[in-house]
Amino acid sequence: MTAALEVRGLSYELPGRGTRDGGRGREGGRALVQDVSFTVGAGETLVLLGRSGSGKTTTLKLINRLLEPTAGDVRVAGERAADVPATKLRRRIGYVIQEVGLFPHFTVERNVGLVPRLDGWPPPRIAARVRELLTLVGLDPERFAARYPHELSGGQRQRVGVARALAADPPLLLLDEPFGALDPITRVELQREFQALEGRLGKGMVFVTHDVREGLRLGTRIGLMHEGRLAFLGTPEEFRRSDHPECRAFMAAA
Amino acid sequence: MSLLAFYARNAQEVLGLVAQHLYLVAVSTLLAFALGIPLGIVLTRRPAWQRPVLGLANVFQTVPSLALFGFLIPLPFIGGIGASTAIVALVLYALLPIVRNTYTGIAGVDPAVREAGRGMGMTDWQLLTQVELPLGFGVILAGVRVATVVSVGTATIAAAIGAGGLGVYIFRGVAVVDDTLILAGALPAALMALAADGLLGLAERRLAWRGK
Amino acid sequence: MAGKMTVGQSIVFVATLLAGCGRADRIVVGSKNFSESDLLGEIVAQQIERRTGLPVERRFHLGGTFVCHHAITSGQIDLYVEYTGTAYTAVLKFPPAHDADSVRRAVTAEYARRFGLTWGKPFGFNNTFAITVRRRDATRYGLTRIADLARVASRWKAGFGYEFLERADGFRGLADAYGLRFSAPPTAMDLGLTYRALAEGKVDVIAGNSTDGQIEALDLVVLEDDRHYFPPYEAAPVIRQAVLDAHPEVGTALALLAGRITDAEMRRLNALADVEHKDIAGIARDWLQAPRP
Ligand SMILES: Nc1ncnc2c1ncn2[C@@H]1O[C@H](COP(=O)(O)OP(=O)(O)O)[C@@H](O)[C@H]1O
Ligand SMILES: [Mg+2]
Repeated sequence: MTAALEVRGLSYELPGRGTRDGGRGREGGRALVQDVSFTVGAGETLVLLGRSGSGKTTTLKLINRLLEPTAGDVRVAGERAADVPATKLRRRIGYVIQEVGLFPHFTVERNVGLVPRLDGWPPPRIAARVRELLTLVGLDPERFAARYPHELSGGQRQRVGVARALAADPPLLLLDEPFGALDPITRVELQREFQALEGRLGKGMVFVTHDVREGLRLGTRIGLMHEGRLAFLGTPEEFRRSDHPECRAFMAAA
Repeated sequence: MSLLAFYARNAQEVLGLVAQHLYLVAVSTLLAFALGIPLGIVLTRRPAWQRPVLGLANVFQTVPSLALFGFLIPLPFIGGIGASTAIVALVLYALLPIVRNTYTGIAGVDPAVREAGRGMGMTDWQLLTQVELPLGFGVILAGVRVATVVSVGTATIAAAIGAGGLGVYIFRGVAVVDDTLILAGALPAALMALAADGLLGLAERRLAWRGK
Repeated sequence: MAGKMTVGQSIVFVATLLAGCGRADRIVVGSKNFSESDLLGEIVAQQIERRTGLPVERRFHLGGTFVCHHAITSGQIDLYVEYTGTAYTAVLKFPPAHDADSVRRAVTAEYARRFGLTWGKPFGFNNTFAITVRRRDATRYGLTRIADLARVASRWKAGFGYEFLERADGFRGLADAYGLRFSAPPTAMDLGLTYRALAEGKVDVIAGNSTDGQIEALDLVVLEDDRHYFPPYEAAPVIRQAVLDAHPEVGTALALLAGRITDAEMRRLNALADVEHKDIAGIARDWLQAPRP
């Protein structure tokens, strides 16, 4: 079976400023991500752990081509991402962004049904799918479908964000610190529910966090990012025992 | 002579001038929307153009109308005397609030929302039409409102270039020092401006999405 | 532009304010709110200063006819330059008349009788409406008089200012007097823009003022009012009789200016102010100092 996601030698340099003079600005040419490789199988969750600014978000954006890699290769469900039109690729990858980014002028129902609509599903099928997903993420469709994002709590918004990412049943899910902005209690609650979902969904997931405990709880494997590089890749158990200084720094913080 | 008596005696002429005035405002503001909104959108896609384009629109606003007409008279097609020249001038005056508000309205959309849209696989066109324009609509409409209200007032200068409108009474009144005549032109123009402001304000409250 | 005071004028203005109400031996000169009136007011003021040594206070750019007339009858100013035709119709409310001499005689008599004001001798030019065409057209069609216009009018477009279209002595009477029929009703527009529209060929005939600087600057030609339709607008100083009695030398100084400014000369002076934006006081000084035949 092909892996949900295969990343080989992925790199990203900031474009040089002004190509005409051939010179590069201060930021020009700086590498944000360097030579990152990993594989995520179906039903697997790779946690990308790292300090803020270590390149985690950039790595996710390189996978769904919100940024174009300057080197390396990404395959989603066996197909080269570079060979697929970017918009089509992105509809096959669920994406939960750090700030949730629900559309404030859409109801919960329209937010969740966004990708199926873009893909041209018939409305009754979208409606059924939305109900199914809201139930899956623990929101009663009767109560929540017609609400607007500003009528939801932070935790409820995150649930809608996850439901939206799952809507078109993508083989791969990218989650960028989805629980980062929540209070500790809601956060643990959502982590638990997410853990229960992981096994049931059977999707490949890349879960970005800077919280070691969250990472160790949710990941089947841990990738530690440090200054744009993947400094460590292994199971949570291996991570705990690693003597890589950055791993130890994180363990000490836990 | 009282204003009412004047209107009673010249009803037909008044209605004709009001119609001319409405025509000048309608054509010029529609053209300004048709030019200004796409231009504002382009600026959000080409941020480098923002300064020169907004700067130019700003300059247009500061050129006195008689000077602008002076420049326009010799130009082929858009220039000369009459309605077309007046409309060109009115479009130039209306452009700034529309371009600026379209730009600000779209640029003001939460970057996370934009990012989410792109991340979900929206094309640029889908993002524009389904997310950015609806969310920026209130600000864009506010610009349209300002432009329209200002146009109703500035359309009185069309009378300086032979394009008619309510400015005819104002210019005549000034020429022969007749306050009733001046008022006969200024009053309906002011009422039209208030009406336009009220209607577009209503549209703004009714149609624009208001976020928290 | 004409409305702004020069530094020199400002100093004089402030100084005269500081001098307070003791205006016994100061002559107060007013002017209307356009460059020609300012220019003539300044020429008169400098002439009085040079010839009599009396201090002169300038109250320029006061407003229209009504404001100046009110100012002089109430003694706030001692003299200003008025036009005979304006005094005749706007102040004395007589119906428009066409003979320069009878108009001048009427205003002189009535102003003395009703207001205790004396009309000085006219400067020489007549600032009346000027039916104006491009020199090129005048040459090609042999146009020198307004009567010649009737031949080409049916193919021509006219653009007129609002005042000319509205006034009793304006377009309607002119069209009747000369039998003019244009291809379309005249376009009503701003007077200044009519010059531009004429020069650019957007209209073929306009009604300017015979002393406007643009006539020379844009190579235009004024057609002669051969049927004497337009009322005369001769410019002359109007002065309070009481001032003349106290200072007869002022009358002598003003008399020296009589007949000294032709239409063309006034056009040239206006062009210096309106087209070249020279300072009014300087234009007046140069004009007074220039050697004369
Ligand atoms: N558009 C950009 N221009 C310049 N620097 C950027 C840009 N985007 C991100 N960066 C920099 O790249 C690095 C990695 O950012 P990011 O991937 O967002 O980190 P993380 O998600 O791990 O916190 C940071 O140093 C950040 O400042
Ligand atoms: Mg990040």
